[in-house]
Amino acid sequence: MTTTPTRLQKPGLGAQKPSLDRLNDFDELPADFDELAWRLGVRSITVQREEIIADGGASPDAPLTQAAAIAVLANPWAGTDTQADLAPAAEQVAPVLAKVLTDRLLDALGPASAIEAFGKGAVVGVDGELEHAGALIHTPYFGNIMREMLEGTSVLCFADGRSGPSASIRVPMWHKTHATSRDHYQTIDLRLADAPKADELCVIAAASTGPRPFARIGDRRTDGAVTTEILKGLTK
Amino acid sequence: MNIRKITTVTEEILAEGGRRTDPVITVAAVAAVIENPWHGQGFVEDLGPGIDATASELGAVLAPRVMEALGGTLEAYGKAAIVGLSGEIEHGSALIHTLKFGNHFRDAAQASTLLPAVEKRGEAGAVFDIPLKHFTDATIRSHHQTFEWRVADAPHPGEILIALAGSTGGRPQQRLASLSTEQ
Repeated sequence: MTTTPTRLQKPGLGAQKPSLDRLNDFDELPADFDELAWRLGVRSITVQREEIIADGGASPDAPLTQAAAIAVLANPWAGTDTQADLAPAAEQVAPVLAKVLTDRLLDALGPASAIEAFGKGAVVGVDGELEHAGALIHTPYFGNIMREMLEGTSVLCFADGRSGPSASIRVPMWHKTHATSRDHYQTIDLRLADAPKADELCVIAAASTGPRPFARIGDRRTDGAVTTEILKGLTK
Repeated sequence: MNIRKITTVTEEILAEGGRRTDPVITVAAVAAVIENPWHGQGFVEDLGPGIDATASELGAVLAPRVMEALGGTLEAYGKAAIVGLSGEIEHGSALIHTLKFGNHFRDAAQASTLLPAVEKRGEAGAVFDIPLKHFTDATIRSHHQTFEWRVADAPHPGEILIALAGSTGGRPQQRLASLSTEQ
């Protein structure tokens, strides 16, 4: 006997269909991935691109360009409880999000050879669980697609959280093939005026063309041995 | 003109009110964060030389970037000046309320109307709303819209954030009667 994962509805929310049911409304395949993303509940895709030409009153040899792409979508698990199986919707939605978001990073910064650092993020609206945010970015269905498209090998660093609309999130990035390259540790600050609503999620892919402007705090290869010994004798 | 950074936001609206927007509406805004040309000079009576040195160059930097982000055409547009806390709002207004600045955008967009604007003073990360109106007829009600934005680390007290914004269409799912139906 096989058991089917149970998707439990909270009392009073029985009329609310999981958003993926909408896929059944279409007879034909979507024309492109943007249309597929819309069918999966995406209502907007925002790209923020930052060209840092100068900092601290000086200009680096090469400007640093960062970008982040943010999809706002209906929470596929709205109305479900903590026992719901997240895998089916995550496997369906996450790769499409990774594709449409990474396409936009390549458009803003590309080609992949020009991109040196990357990161990801997810923010769930206040009616959802933090686990819903994690389900869309912390599996290979998101990360492997993004990594392959950006020609990286590192684990993707991330930020996730739950908030109302208008909250900001600072998404971290590190080197796409050398995650311990300290020069490449950087973040991008993002905020959407009206997202995520209570029953929505924001999913974010971020990338950058190089190290921080004027990076000069060394690296683990240049660090001396540092232990708590150095704290001794600093106080009475 | 000393530019510290240029930030671009492009927002594609695929659905609104639960319905698909077909075609997709794209709103784009581009901000240049510059050193306030009058920073540290006390009260400057004649802003003309600073305007001449900065406004046209700024328009030439921003206008093509908005058009590129929108794919080459727009139907609504607007502008913004956010002055850091050490400056006067007049400094921001000086840079955007001149044809030397706006004509770059009008020409690139083949537009004819005045650009609606927000001008205010604020700290780094201040939220501001850029008003957008139709690019050839500011009375077209379907295109009255607003883009809310902030740049996390700008403007510093001695800086000014200058932005241009545009949209490929009116409000998503716009369905109000036109002004003429009430006259």
